[in-house]
Amino acid sequence: MTLRTMGGAAARRGIVRLGLAFMVSYGALPIIIALMYLGFGLVEPRFHSGDNAINILKQASYLAILATGQMLALLTRGFDLSIGQMTSMVSVASALVMMGVLARNPDAVVLAILAACAVGLAAGLATGAVNGLCVAVFRINPFVVTLGMQGIAMGFATTISDGFPVFNLPIEFTEVFSRSSWLGIPAPVAVCIIVLAVAYIVLNHSVLGRSWYILGGNPRAAHIAGLSSRVHLVSAYVMCSLFVAVGALLLTARTGSGEPNLGGGLMLQSIAAAVIGGVSLRGGEGRVIHVVYGALFVTILSIGMNFVRIDGYIQQIVLGVVVVAAVYLDLLRTRIR
Amino acid sequence: MVQSQVDRPLESPLWRRVVQRSLSFGVLPILLLALFLFFGLYEPKFWRAANLINVLRNSSYLMIISSGQMLVLIIGGFDLSVGAVVALTSVAAALTMASLYVSMPESAYLVIVIGVVVALVVGSLVGVVNGLTVAILKVNPFMVTLGTMSIAFGIALYTTTGVPVYGMPDEFTREFGRLRWFNLPVSIYLTAGILLVLWWVMNWTKLGRYIYAIGGNIHAARVSGIPTLVYIVATYTMCSFLAAVTGVLLTARVGSGEATLGPTLMLESIAAAVIGGVSLRGGVGRIELVALGALFLALVTNGMNLIRVDSKIQTIVVGAVLILAVGLDRLKLARR
Amino acid sequence: MAETRSAERAHDAPGTAVVPGASPLLLDLKGITKRFPGVVALDSVDFELRRGEVHVLFGENGAGKSTLTNIVAGTYPADQGRIIFDGRQISHLTPHQARLAGISPVFQEFSLAPDLTVEENLFLGREHAAWGVLHKREMRAKARAVLGDLGFDLRANARVGGLMRAQQQMTEIAKALLQDVKLLILDEPTASLTEHETERLFALIDRLKREGVGIIYVSHRIGEIKRVGDRVTVLRDGKKIGTVDAAAIEEIQLVEMMTGRKIDVLFPTIDCKPGPVLIEASHLSTADGRLVDVSFTVRAGEIVGVAGLVGCGKSELARAVFGLEKLSAGEITIEGAPVRRPKPSTMLKRGVCYFPSDRVAEGLALPRPLRENVSVAALDLPNFTRLRFIRRARERAEVKAIVETLRIRPPQIERPVDFLSGGNRQKVMLARGLTREIRMFLFDEPTVGIDVGAKTEVYQFMKELAEGGSAVLLISSELPEVLNLSHRVYVMHRGRVVTELSGAEITEQAVLSLFFDKKGFGGGAKPAASA
Ligand SMILES: Nc1ncnc2c1ncn2[C@@H]1O[C@H](COP(=O)(O)OP(=O)(O)OP(=O)(O)O)[C@@H](O)[C@H]1O
Ligand SMILES: [Mg+2]
Repeated sequence: MTLRTMGGAAARRGIVRLGLAFMVSYGALPIIIALMYLGFGLVEPRFHSGDNAINILKQASYLAILATGQMLALLTRGFDLSIGQMTSMVSVASALVMMGVLARNPDAVVLAILAACAVGLAAGLATGAVNGLCVAVFRINPFVVTLGMQGIAMGFATTISDGFPVFNLPIEFTEVFSRSSWLGIPAPVAVCIIVLAVAYIVLNHSVLGRSWYILGGNPRAAHIAGLSSRVHLVSAYVMCSLFVAVGALLLTARTGSGEPNLGGGLMLQSIAAAVIGGVSLRGGEGRVIHVVYGALFVTILSIGMNFVRIDGYIQQIVLGVVVVAAVYLDLLRTRIR
Repeated sequence: MVQSQVDRPLESPLWRRVVQRSLSFGVLPILLLALFLFFGLYEPKFWRAANLINVLRNSSYLMIISSGQMLVLIIGGFDLSVGAVVALTSVAAALTMASLYVSMPESAYLVIVIGVVVALVVGSLVGVVNGLTVAILKVNPFMVTLGTMSIAFGIALYTTTGVPVYGMPDEFTREFGRLRWFNLPVSIYLTAGILLVLWWVMNWTKLGRYIYAIGGNIHAARVSGIPTLVYIVATYTMCSFLAAVTGVLLTARVGSGEATLGPTLMLESIAAAVIGGVSLRGGVGRIELVALGALFLALVTNGMNLIRVDSKIQTIVVGAVLILAVGLDRLKLARR
Repeated sequence: MAETRSAERAHDAPGTAVVPGASPLLLDLKGITKRFPGVVALDSVDFELRRGEVHVLFGENGAGKSTLTNIVAGTYPADQGRIIFDGRQISHLTPHQARLAGISPVFQEFSLAPDLTVEENLFLGREHAAWGVLHKREMRAKARAVLGDLGFDLRANARVGGLMRAQQQMTEIAKALLQDVKLLILDEPTASLTEHETERLFALIDRLKREGVGIIYVSHRIGEIKRVGDRVTVLRDGKKIGTVDAAAIEEIQLVEMMTGRKIDVLFPTIDCKPGPVLIEASHLSTADGRLVDVSFTVRAGEIVGVAGLVGCGKSELARAVFGLEKLSAGEITIEGAPVRRPKPSTMLKRGVCYFPSDRVAEGLALPRPLRENVSVAALDLPNFTRLRFIRRARERAEVKAIVETLRIRPPQIERPVDFLSGGNRQKVMLARGLTREIRMFLFDEPTVGIDVGAKTEVYQFMKELAEGGSAVLLISSELPEVLNLSHRVYVMHRGRVVTELSGAEITEQAVLSLFFDKKGFGGGAKPAASA
């Protein structure tokens, strides 16, 4: 064996070791995401265009916002199945309010948008409060509570809208919350960054966030350590719903109409994004960065498959396989170290 | 504590045991009775035999699929793929039967048998994959079954391009789907049989015992020498098998293979199990209560249809009733 | 498996009387190495066990004792090394094979399914069944017989999750003894048992020894080592320090081997200058009847012990005060002010802290790092938080200091508590008491599973607390602890306080007699006895 090949082998081993070290500290997901992005671009060079990159970021932002909300529920050993229907409800409610204000005074666009946002957030707050109260005070299983809320929110959304989309929202709404850039960052991405930052600070630097972690890690221990489960559980669900409301407003702005069917698959997607990223379904474990990874992963995969024109039904099959594979690869991190 | 336990007489009087036994069912039976009375008084048609049979039949599908879901929940898992398995088996059954029936139109029964067997095998395979992935790769069951759900739906949709598959022998729908014994649909007997067998399995066999043990503390089960892998795979397979049975029954009922069959069944099956007191954290659950939970859901829907509640309002009511039912159950626990 | 003892291994002709030292090897471990993420739990350890011998494993928390026993039990494989059991080399040992071969483990963190009954747990993995169908009646009879044989007060159809830790311990022991044993592993079996059950266990150990069973025994109670042990192997940081004859070695030497330094294992003498009454409970009864009309006081600057058998209500005493048990009668007064509805958060604010006995179930959030588990009880204090935001740097520094004080190993404050050894988990919980100004401490089995060095630190800690004017309630099943540390002792029996001893009255004799006398254990004769 010559010196040279030995050197090559050593270098290769060095790279492998570096890669492993990276995986151990950051998980496999960043690598998988990067490979996916590169891979789709190789097959279809348009995938690497700047426009598409921005599109990916925007799409991922919506999902990341919802998944962050979902993560808060998951952290406390809960669930929020009502996320999708809540999105629909907020969308319809805010759209109706907007149209209502404009019907009175067609010039009050700003007022209409503000009122719509306020109502949207309030609707989210109320839903979250009900979810939280049922979970924390009446101690009903969060799965059941939010499943019930799913029906309730959906019923509201279809009742108040009569089952039809609310069209003709002011173009300014779409303009500001979907098309414009804030400081050079697309609006949805900027909002997402704000949401993530808030979540990060709350989770890592506040007593509230710390209490969620402990509560999710062991509720009885939290009780004995003097943490009030009621206050903290309710606040987790309220904050979750507020984030969802924000996401719903952004999605409404994107479509330009209030949609009673907006939220269809969002619940599973939000949980999937959170869990793929590394949030534990058993509670007590999960970080903001996990949600970012998860959202990017899901978004790049689905946009990429569209780009390389994979049949819609086959896409579902691929999605299923890839999701499980990604979660597995990411798990390896804890096994190899 | 020890003392009070030891001092307590081992056998309490029969009446007390009967009372305790029925109390252990919680408020679910009472709720069911209340709903039964309410709907009947409001709309006498509800009490007609035809309608009650209808309720039973509708709940029977949910009962079968929920009891499978229950097994997986007890072992500490989750199965999101049951709805997709229903769709997949429906498509598999229909495609098999339709293609065979063309080549051998005179032996309809053989075609049916082959079709049903193929469908059940295909459905159960999903469970095998679920179980193996959960047990060997140790990926979270939620994600595994979310993945297989997507895959199974994808396959069902792709093979049928989303349109219903016709061309199954008439006998399948006529004899199997609409057949009645003593005026009751066959599916009800089948459900009763499945529930009985599962009750026996959960209470009297090693399999049942191990499912509870693994769900309660998988580490303890493993160090106690239980081959957890085998039991996990078996449980997921049973769950998928039961979903496949539901798929076959539903296909016989609608008379065509549909990839859109049963997307709501996944959440409904979990809901029925949870209403029946199954813990989502594993280790706890009883088949008889799960059956009641499924009956409860079917009853609410049927009753509201009969008294013509607007479908939009219905979703609200179902949601609220769901929360209430489980909430009331909690109250009882809290007082105990 | 039965008689496959290989000739070249046999030190002696098989079948002769089992005298330790002369009897053949049952288990021979060579060069066992085991790594966990971030630590080497065992570093090339040799270990041997003869038939009829009790071989004690001794070492600090995290030394690798449980890891070694787990490898023998087949829980996980060793990374390197050979296992020779009964003369045969075993390569891929699974828990199932281990049990079949006659290796019966009693785990430190139990192997019980919480939702099954005691009886169902006893047979877990070894059900009597034909074609998969359970023989319930047969198993019930055998379960009753085994429990009766061991003299454990357990109801066979009680749900294990609802039992106290000590009762779960008994279940775990009974579970190991259900089958025919060749090698019994006892990993801190007495950690939450009292004298009575411990004596039963020792009698049993003696019997098993005579039958030629080899026993690996792990314990932090030095007294027990000399009582039951034949040989002692000391581990430190995953390495074997040496194997010595139990009869020939002094306690001090053992401790020195274990820690690598000299430690005075004596109980500290604690000055008693009682101040005002801080905790007063009068006529407490719980709704479930586990406490009946109990009254007690704890004054500033004194340590008050509570002793009694398992299930006598001593745990419930502290729990009731801290608001974890539903009271049906009675009143609790803290620093002269009555507490109307006690609950943990108000009690903490009033300066009362409770340390539960079951650290896994009630004490710790396992997936969370050590740092968060330590600071959790102090999240409302200005030195950890400002305006409901956590001062992270401050938190890290404080926790690091506390970790050093209590010698928690490994001293990585970001390590999830899940990955700590049993004793270190206990220390993490105790560490909470150091995070905030607390004047009243309720310790429920504070030294369960912690090593001798740590114990002396905990005792020292209590001494400082008491001498600094705190009120300490010490509930413990380890009698010497209660006897030596307490200024006053309450003895409990069947939910009632039967007597109060103070000063010179506190003797083993006095306390023990009260344990049993009242009613004869397990409901025997009823002699009228008094202190
Ligand atoms: N499952 C695990 N994962 C990661 N680390 C572990 C695991 N089990 C044990 N360890 C680590 O291995 C080391 C040895 O642990 P072990 O439980 O054997 O200690 P021990 O001697 O039994 O201590 P104790 O007296 O506290 O019970 C410790 O540093 C511990 O943190
Ligand atoms: Mg240990």
